[in-house]
Amino acid sequence: MECLFGITGKDFTLLAADEVAARSIVVMKSKEDKSRTLSPHILLLYTGEPGDTVNFAEYIQRNVRLYGIRNDIELSPKAAANFTRRELAESLRSRHPYAVNLLIGGYDTKTSAPALFWLDYLGSMAELPFAAQGYGAYFCTSLMDRYWQPDMNLDQAVALMKQCIQELKTRFIVNLPEFNCKVVDKDGVREIDLKAYP
Amino acid sequence: MDKFVARYATSPLTPAFQTEELNLLGKWDAAQDFAIPAFDIPGAEHPTQFLQSITNESSPDYKIKIQHGTTTLAFKFQGGVVVAVDSRATAGNYIASQTVKKVIEINPYLLGTMAGGAADCSYWERELGRRCRLYELRNKERISVAAASKLLANMVYSYKGMGLSMGTMVTGWDKTGPNLFYVDSDGTRLKGDLFSVGSGSTFAYGVLDSGYNYDMSVSDAIELGKRSIYHATHRDAMSGGSVNLYHVTEGGWVYHGNHDVGPLHWEYQDLKAREHALTT
Amino acid sequence: MDVQQQVRSAAIEHRFDPYEDNGGTCLAIAGEDFCIIASDTRQSNGYSINSRYAPKTYKVSETSVLATTGFHADGLTLVKRLDQRLEWYRHAHEKEMSTPALAQLLSITLYQKRFFPYYSFCLLGGLDPEGKGAVYSFDPVGSFERETYRAGGSAASLIQPFLDNQVGWKNQENADKSLPDLETALRLTKDAFTSATERDIHTGDCLEIFVVTKDGVKVEQYQLKRD
Repeated sequence: MECLFGITGKDFTLLAADEVAARSIVVMKSKEDKSRTLSPHILLLYTGEPGDTVNFAEYIQRNVRLYGIRNDIELSPKAAANFTRRELAESLRSRHPYAVNLLIGGYDTKTSAPALFWLDYLGSMAELPFAAQGYGAYFCTSLMDRYWQPDMNLDQAVALMKQCIQELKTRFIVNLPEFNCKVVDKDGVREIDLKAYP
Repeated sequence: MDKFVARYATSPLTPAFQTEELNLLGKWDAAQDFAIPAFDIPGAEHPTQFLQSITNESSPDYKIKIQHGTTTLAFKFQGGVVVAVDSRATAGNYIASQTVKKVIEINPYLLGTMAGGAADCSYWERELGRRCRLYELRNKERISVAAASKLLANMVYSYKGMGLSMGTMVTGWDKTGPNLFYVDSDGTRLKGDLFSVGSGSTFAYGVLDSGYNYDMSVSDAIELGKRSIYHATHRDAMSGGSVNLYHVTEGGWVYHGNHDVGPLHWEYQDLKAREHALTT
Repeated sequence: MDVQQQVRSAAIEHRFDPYEDNGGTCLAIAGEDFCIIASDTRQSNGYSINSRYAPKTYKVSETSVLATTGFHADGLTLVKRLDQRLEWYRHAHEKEMSTPALAQLLSITLYQKRFFPYYSFCLLGGLDPEGKGAVYSFDPVGSFERETYRAGGSAASLIQPFLDNQVGWKNQENADKSLPDLETALRLTKDAFTSATERDIHTGDCLEIFVVTKDGVKVEQYQLKRD
């Protein structure tokens, strides 16, 4: 029932994840952050099998960090996404595959361009201007097809993000009251308070 | 050199059951301190399916009746953490015990609770206690609750998919103050203010959520824990026996007694009658 | 191997079924300074009786006795393993292992086979280091608890309520919940098994009662109906 969204703008990537942690029919926690910062300019959002998600995300986080320390240069978002995809593909062919679906959003400091990658547990990957994971994709990909524009500024992207979340509130049977929204741009990763926007 | 590296290397990619069985009496190796103990595996084609077929209550080959635990809760409030649990263990439809200790005293500052497989919880939380003690001896300071709960989560995660069943709350007081974590056998680990685990958890949540207030007094908090468990035992057939209460304070945990739900029921009935008389 | 052979060998499927239920009942009652551990000696398989005298209660040390029900072979293996560990312990420490330590040892021994369990329901009875009677009951994968009385095995659900009534005083409010004396405990044990023999097909033949006191372990036999 988890939902992830990602939208690229002119010089940033906006990402959001719902904050519900549920076990069978019970909401165990309503303020769970389903993201890990891979490097100053790369953010990873995850959904999937409980336990696998955090373990895989932290494994990727530490390896991307290790690369940065060893080589004194950070991976580009594309390189990090390709590394993650390969780890998923190898895991799929192991005795115990990770069942994790991801969105990787970043800002490439070399090309000054935003980047957004959609990955699933089978090792598929796509670079997209906007993306969604989970049931949210059924409701909101069309919505983003309709309203997304290249070179959006942050206010416009946040408005689109809020529109997606609003659509879930009206049409999706599961209650996802809160979304954790973060933006990645040239200054790095920071949280966005959706309520502060009109 | 390779041999030396191999001896000290542990890899998450090597399944714990493939490593050589730890010979506890003969060859004790300090490097193995943090190795995960090895377990016997059936020589069946699908070992996990085999385990399922003999331990699952709905399986036709159900023989091995493992004891299961049931309603547990813990919540943070102004005065620390309150932990309350029931005491019933069921094996199939049989009540195996009404006097189970479902709060596991890991050490004077850490508590763990028991839901799911009773043996899984007591074994792994005992192992956690050992590791926490080793941490203290090595680092000359107590382990944080966050680190302790992660040790537990990582241990059970390495057996994911093999049939372990535990839902536990790890709680205690460390440098950062009172802390509460939910850890289960899927490998999930959540930090939170209020959790309830087990088949009676929905009933406990109902009472707990509606009576909860972070600023409540210590006695009110303990009473809320007790009442929530009582209501869960009343509605959930797999929960019962008595309520065990703990309060985690800065100086460690304090036990607040065992309360049989038999007499407790009539106490609460009397209270309700008095409240009713006052309002009419 | 030719193709035909390969096809044939692939078609054969063996069901892995390494367990059998050999029935039987055991019981343990702790007193102030003694402990009784008793079990019937019938061994059965379904409706057939394999043996009228196949003991399933074993003296494991001077202060403790172990009763196992469930699968007889697993019980034997378990006791064999335990005996060896106790022997090593004696050589390493020049003393007998205490009953509480033995209970913890049995627990981890059972848990070592978490993924391929012993089909054994264990009852450990004996004296603790203070000389008080102690009963430990176990599930097949090592969950255990100290109690003062417990019935296990095929007639557990018949005997346990009787013990709850006669030893635990669960039928009485504000009853004097003191531990039974040896004479009472022995009488209750015999009564419990006589009644269980009447209603459980897997229980009967002979009752073997182990009495642990500070003077050591004594065994006593009591005939049950052999039908």
